[in-house]
Amino acid sequence: MSSLVIFLWISNICFDTLGQVAFKYAATSPTNRDGWYYWLDLAKNHWIWIGISSYIAEFLLWLAFLTLVPLSQGVLLASFNIITIMLVGRVLFKELLTLYRIIGMLLITAGVIFVGLS
Amino acid sequence: MARFYLIGFTVLLMFDTVAQCSFKLAAEHAQPLAMSIEWLVRVFSGHWIYVSITGYILTFFTWMTLLKKAPVGPAFAASHFEVVTVMIVSVWLFHEPITLFKLIGTILIVSGILFLALAESKLAKKTNNQSD
Repeated sequence: MSSLVIFLWISNICFDTLGQVAFKYAATSPTNRDGWYYWLDLAKNHWIWIGISSYIAEFLLWLAFLTLVPLSQGVLLASFNIITIMLVGRVLFKELLTLYRIIGMLLITAGVIFVGLS
Repeated sequence: MARFYLIGFTVLLMFDTVAQCSFKLAAEHAQPLAMSIEWLVRVFSGHWIYVSITGYILTFFTWMTLLKKAPVGPAFAASHFEVVTVMIVSVWLFHEPITLFKLIGTILIVSGILFLALAESKLAKKTNNQSD
């Protein structure tokens, strides 16, 4: 893989993770009300806009990435975002890292390394 | 009920695979890659980009419908099986080779996803027991 491909891959994963975290913060904000007010509160929350901007950036980075990488390889490499999101979930949202989750994460990491080398 | 899941997840994987393949076609259409307005114009002047955006939106709504009823663990695993369907489609659509390393990597990633699905099922059971 060239350094441009690696750069695009890493920035794609960073924006994906940032987007997911931002959506989580927006969705779980304690000031959110019920019903239609929920969507109004969401629209006023700056996290939702950080999330949407991240997704737009990710969308363009993904297109650039796919220009350079075969689709099957690209989709496999992108599954690494499962791991970054779980690690960030652990740190920011105190989500559990159970034994099964750790085994799953190690298997995916090993798989991504193999695909990256192919 | 089993039939609902089977059809639901097949539809989900289909939309997702169509979206990803269209993304690839859109990327190829916009070549050469450049950090410029011209590249963006080329991206949005092709029709594949709109197929992929539609595919994404349909995937999203199918996913939300399934999540209302399906247990989290299997749903998580099924939603990530796109790696396999996309690979199969790329072989005949884009003539991408399946190398030994790619095959080993895919098997490892899929087993990892299965473990994460098991983890989600276990955690969901635990929280259910606590709330009872």
